[in-house]
Amino acid sequence: MAVEKYLSSLKEGIINLDFGTVVNAAKEAMAAGVDPNATINKGMVAGMAVVGDKFEKGEYFLSELVVAAEVMKEGVEVVKPYLKGSSTLGLGKVVMATVEGDHHDLGKNIVTSLLGVQGFQVFDLGIDVPTARIVGAVKEHQPAIVGMSALLTLTMTKMGEVIEALKSASLREKVKIIIGGTSVTTEFADRIGADHRAANALEGVKKCVEWVTSSERRQ
Amino acid sequence: MTEMTRRERILTASRGERADKLPFFHWWRHSQIGWAERECRNRGMGMAWARPSYTVELRDVDVVEQPVVVEGVKVLRRTYNTPMGSIYLDEKREPGTGEWHGMRSWQDVSPWQTERLIKQPEDYEVLKFIVEHTVYTADYFPIEQAKDWLGEDGCVVDIHPHSPMQMLMIDWIGSEGGRFFIHYAKYHDLVEDLYRAISKSREPMYEISARSPADVIWCGDNIDGVLVNPRLFEQYFMPEYEKMAKPIHRQGKLFASHMDGRVDVLKDLIAQTPLDIVEGLHPPPMGDLPIGEALSLWKDKVVWMGFAGSVYTLGPEATKKHTLELLREVLPGDRLTIAMSTENLVSNENLRMVTSVLENVDLPLTGEKIGVIEKSLG
Ligand code: B12
Repeated sequence: MAVEKYLSSLKEGIINLDFGTVVNAAKEAMAAGVDPNATINKGMVAGMAVVGDKFEKGEYFLSELVVAAEVMKEGVEVVKPYLKGSSTLGLGKVVMATVEGDHHDLGKNIVTSLLGVQGFQVFDLGIDVPTARIVGAVKEHQPAIVGMSALLTLTMTKMGEVIEALKSASLREKVKIIIGGTSVTTEFADRIGADHRAANALEGVKKCVEWVTSSERRQ
Repeated sequence: MTEMTRRERILTASRGERADKLPFFHWWRHSQIGWAERECRNRGMGMAWARPSYTVELRDVDVVEQPVVVEGVKVLRRTYNTPMGSIYLDEKREPGTGEWHGMRSWQDVSPWQTERLIKQPEDYEVLKFIVEHTVYTADYFPIEQAKDWLGEDGCVVDIHPHSPMQMLMIDWIGSEGGRFFIHYAKYHDLVEDLYRAISKSREPMYEISARSPADVIWCGDNIDGVLVNPRLFEQYFMPEYEKMAKPIHRQGKLFASHMDGRVDVLKDLIAQTPLDIVEGLHPPPMGDLPIGEALSLWKDKVVWMGFAGSVYTLGPEATKKHTLELLREVLPGDRLTIAMSTENLVSNENLRMVTSVLENVDLPLTGEKIGVIEKSLG
């Protein structure tokens, strides 16, 4: 089979949310010696881009976005052993968390998968993450961006706590901070000193890309 | 006309008729007991109280609870042992859980499940066994008691659990990490089979609750259009609402569902449901469907609105402004009641502010009347 054929069946498999097609096409592509990076980027990521587009246009719902990301995850698992240390993740690191006391993770997960698709390396700390763990992860991974999600008015304040803790650890200046979730407003983001409040996942991811690409340009 | 009682006000508006004043109330389970709550109730705030009309028994299922520590976190593990095998869930409990209203913590948060009953495909048949061995028995005491205690101060509603597909999405499979959607894609037949089993097992419960002494039968469904997308809503929620509505309407009762998320994407489908009351609707900034639009779209329905918690965080002045804006949007104020909160605790200051705006909302409401109210508040 020509390389194009594998790539297009990976792309279509993602768009059609078809676990079997993607896993099989990924296996066949690897057996045929197709470049693993191309398999991910030109096959699966290209499919995810179409899914993201359809989501933005309202043709696909959250469920499709979530399932597409899962299909892609299974496909990437097949390809991973062939990557041999070469990385497709070129846009930099993001530490992502739902803050302490909050168990809402759907929004955060969408952002995490879209960031991954864009080429960020995301360290997703999960839900109900204590402030100290977020600060620890920033120290350890030295990301360009910290993303936080909170849906409860009760837990929103934890985002401010994280920012203060990052300041105390002299880490605040080293990262951009983006926050999101139902209850979070731009006014609140300004009040706690976050750099941006995302209205939705796509807009937030665009902002992250803008940050890292404009800082690359400056360097 | 003599002044209506708080109960009459809520029920009159809920039947789509004009009350003397715009009904507003606090849910008992979110209500602060104290001077501000007493003051606001004396100034017209009603009370809504949700209670069940049945007890549940699991036959041939042995339920064991024990505290365990998972990755350093203390949780309560509940194991269900059945002849088909065992399944378990883990629950994290905040301080106060079980000591306050409706299993809420001091912060008004229910226990969180850190592990769901369904983890793998094999768990479906165990859960199906449990569902098929669930027996509902009428017990009207909790509703009769609450009605007796509350009298004309408010309204008692009979509470149903999440509807069958929502039970799977929110409670049993869970949506963390998109798990429900992934199961729905991967194990479609298992999900649908269990959905049908739950729906079937609920039938006696729907009859019991329709015959309860409550005036309103309320499905606590937590609908959000992002999660329950229009396809799912049409396929699994609308038919179930039809099923619930039949006995309820036969008994002359009102049927409500809790729709507290973003429902703009579902608004045309909601219009087609047999619901009498869309309860918990949150307008922007929490939700995405303005109340005015909802009321003009759903001509045969009543909205029991939930006040947006994010507005409360901005303080009493912002709360006042938001409430006045809301009133301008809903003229002449029919087919609407306002709940102080459907989820959060409300500060005394905010509770008093909303009461100050709403206590004098005579119906039909006009722009001039709102002007007078605004002026009186300074
Ligand atoms: C689903 C849901 C749940 C599920 C969560 C499942 C899960 N795995 O996440 C369950 C049932 C477990 C749940 C529990 C509770 N919930 Co809840 N829940 C919701 C609901 C209906 C939808 C949230 C959702 O997932 N939306 C879909 C996602 C995709 O949207 P999103 O999170 O907003 O994310 C988007 C953007 O905001 C953005 N985004 C989000 N985060 C981030 C972060 C970054 C960095 C970026 C860039 C972007 C971004 O991108 C996403 C995609 O565009 C909302 C209603 C609402 N209006 O939001 C209530 C809601 C958030 N819940 C609420 C409450 C009160 C609770 C409980 C306290 C209730 C209780 N009985 O105990 C518990 C709390 C548990 C806890 N400790 O966290 C309230 C919060 C009210 C308030 N003022 O605080 C809401 C608003 C309901 C309401 N109207 O009252 N809930």
